[in-house]
Amino acid sequence: MEKYKNIAEFALNTAKELGVDTAHCSVTERETREFNVDGGEFSLFRTLFDRSVAITVFVGGKKGSVSINRFDEDAVRDAVANSIATANSGEPDDAWEIAAGNGEKSFVSGALVPDTEKLFFRTEELLNSIKERHPLIIMEQMIVTHSLRKTVYMSTTGNTYYTKRGSYVAELMYSAHRGEKATSFYGSDVTVDNLDTPFIECAMIDRELQDVENQIDTVSPEGKFEGTVIFAPACLAGTVFGNICDNFVSDMTILDGTSIWKDKLGSQVADERISVSFCPSDKRIVNREFYTGEGFISEDFDLIKNGKLNSFMLSQYVANKTGNKRAKNSSFSMIIEGGETPLDDIIKGIEKGVLIGRFSGGSPGTNGEFSGVAKNGFLIENGKIVSALSETMISGNLADMLNNLVAISKETLVDGSVVAPYMAFGGITVSGK
Amino acid sequence: MIKDILTPKKIIFAPDAHTELRGQVSRSRNATIVSGALTGNSRSDISGISVRVYKNGVYGFSSMAEYSPEAAEAVLRAATENAEFMDLHVAKGKPALPCINSGYRALESDVDDCEQKLYVEFAREIDSYIAEKYKNLASRMIASREDSMEKLLRVSNGVDAHTCLQRSYVYVFMNSETPDGKPVELFKAFGGEGGFNANFSDPKALYEGIDALYENLMKKREGVYADAGEKTVVLGGMMTGMLAHEAVGHTVEADLVLGGSVAAHNLGKQVASEKVSLTDFANTAFGEKTPLPVYVDDEGVEASDARIIENGILVGYMNNRESAQHFGMTPCGNARAWAFSDEPLIRMRNTAVLPGSDKLEDIIASVEDGYYLIDSSNGQADTTGEFMFGVSMGYEIKNGKLGRALLDTTISGVAFEMLKTVDMVSDTVTWSSSGFCGKKQPMPVGMGGPAIRCKVIIGGR
Repeated sequence: MEKYKNIAEFALNTAKELGVDTAHCSVTERETREFNVDGGEFSLFRTLFDRSVAITVFVGGKKGSVSINRFDEDAVRDAVANSIATANSGEPDDAWEIAAGNGEKSFVSGALVPDTEKLFFRTEELLNSIKERHPLIIMEQMIVTHSLRKTVYMSTTGNTYYTKRGSYVAELMYSAHRGEKATSFYGSDVTVDNLDTPFIECAMIDRELQDVENQIDTVSPEGKFEGTVIFAPACLAGTVFGNICDNFVSDMTILDGTSIWKDKLGSQVADERISVSFCPSDKRIVNREFYTGEGFISEDFDLIKNGKLNSFMLSQYVANKTGNKRAKNSSFSMIIEGGETPLDDIIKGIEKGVLIGRFSGGSPGTNGEFSGVAKNGFLIENGKIVSALSETMISGNLADMLNNLVAISKETLVDGSVVAPYMAFGGITVSGK
Repeated sequence: MIKDILTPKKIIFAPDAHTELRGQVSRSRNATIVSGALTGNSRSDISGISVRVYKNGVYGFSSMAEYSPEAAEAVLRAATENAEFMDLHVAKGKPALPCINSGYRALESDVDDCEQKLYVEFAREIDSYIAEKYKNLASRMIASREDSMEKLLRVSNGVDAHTCLQRSYVYVFMNSETPDGKPVELFKAFGGEGGFNANFSDPKALYEGIDALYENLMKKREGVYADAGEKTVVLGGMMTGMLAHEAVGHTVEADLVLGGSVAAHNLGKQVASEKVSLTDFANTAFGEKTPLPVYVDDEGVEASDARIIENGILVGYMNNRESAQHFGMTPCGNARAWAFSDEPLIRMRNTAVLPGSDKLEDIIASVEDGYYLIDSSNGQADTTGEFMFGVSMGYEIKNGKLGRALLDTTISGVAFEMLKTVDMVSDTVTWSSSGFCGKKQPMPVGMGGPAIRCKVIIGGR
């Protein structure tokens, strides 16, 4: 880490010599080992040796950023000069601010030493398990990776952070086939810090493979109806709450004033059973964020607590611009609180609706309106799953939906990046052919 | 410009394997102004070397963030060892790749780099024009962007090349509100292939397009929801291009065909009406340079057009050298890598539906009750060909005439079923090239097409 610290120090000293008021710099080296499977067969083994120097300077209130991937002094000196020229091309803005006075801190997490042979073994084992347990599945692509990242972050405001992080990630994209009939593709993934457990037993991989195998024979519901939609955990976290974050609480929509929640802090925005937090320190999160891009030490925070909007997801810059508070971390370590009802019981209580594994639609507008195709889904009638779905669209409004909660499942997905249950919402328009 | 330190390393390529040695510099420039505040002001210059080795049916790959003779030798060793590791553990025992034409393609023009202040000042001028002229907007965002990939490629068999693909755009986003207070947004991308300096010499050249964008936004804020259900629609050229790329193009990428896409069972079959032909163009289309021309791909294949659909019949896939061998097809130069640390994947270049003979106004006039869908905010498709596109701008058609504007909606369908409903095709192609295609790695691509009349499911409310 000493080498990276010296580079960061050199960059900051050069910046100060050139008249910079404030600056921060991240020096990172990353090693990646990756196995690829294409069309169900091993295809590629790659090893990557990457590095970067990211420098941000503030000159007279003007900000400039430059990133390079060379460590030599000439390149770093040029990058500092370029970042100053970049800053000078802009205009002063008093809202820029980075963290100050935290001193030296060290952070370590995950698997720092890769076991390449075991990673290959676990990958081959996963392929074989899928062939045995799920013979209808064709693995379109599988990428299994170990990455190790070492970073020194340093600022002229008195912060020096040393970070080492390593993790294994398995990403699968697959579909099920019988003759010429095929399902939609689906993606499963998991991030782990050791290889003790077979991948197929991690997260919901086995269950998701089984669900996709059950999606070959489909129906498109007739006409249009208003019903209950159960979002599977990955879809709930990535699509539903991912879009809620982007549209209602992010830097962009709070800064430009288009968020419909911009005046809702402390107000009830969702059913009181809904709680969503961002917790990089949670033990279920593998790749933890230790500090934000502005150098603030990451802490956990509640976005929505018992239905009330507790925080926006703002950088210090936008917080200063808008008179709000900065979010306590900038991660997407999303923890959605689970419920008490087994998924089967939620299904039993639904007269007409759908369960969807994936949503294929554009990003909803800032008004929260969404419309798209229900993928990897099932039709529910009279408390039972009656068929898989095809050519089915769902539409509604994200903000309205949160106040139309039907139930939250007891089962949760824990994939190393997020924790999420199944969640059912009423009043959503479902249209078939 | 990248110096050639790679050619001398060809003598140490493994004799019993196919080797690709690539040096690359990727540059990006960004200035973003959100409602008057400069929120993004950054530059990035990333360079390095990678090697991919193909041996007995498996690949080894390695890359290093350093452009030096020593780094070239190190990644050559590592990639060869990785191929041997895979060969030992997997033992596919496949034959070597068939030989292709060899040759050399020199760099046509160097990267046109310019100072950061140009991006900022241009964005600032556009922002000021909008702020002063259109005071009733809820918000606005202007982004000046440029990216480039300069590559030096040396291969054991094929075409050695020095290429550069550079493109630059100004993105203009405008937000307003419907009468009942709901946000509506429209955006337009200006620009194309080439450096920022060459593409954007005068902000005034954009004013006409910006004015049109504002007028459309004002119509949209008074717009209506489309009626949900299967409708006759006229897709504008931008929408047809999205269809060509997302709903057809991805399903005929040979790696996805091997993964079980819908195209696997349809080669040689009627998948569209006879009025539909589709090609992935390499560098020249309809007598002109394509939006993002590709001359040699990252496997050393001289790029040529990949014919996909001819008069409604699926006639081919997009391949890399390995998949072309598998399917008995000719590789056309579709293997492309994004960063120096990325391996080449099968990617589209400039994918377009070919024009027909109808006039757009005649197509619109032929629709009794339907929609004219002009612009798409995004699109996604499945390997089954089932697609979904967001529609950001469109109009009702009533009795052959354009009616009220539409609020955001979505269309969906199954490509090889929907394309069979195409019964009119306009004589003019519209291209776009400002986005990225996502498939493990991002990739700049062009897409285009004429206006077509067809039936799709529209989302409504």
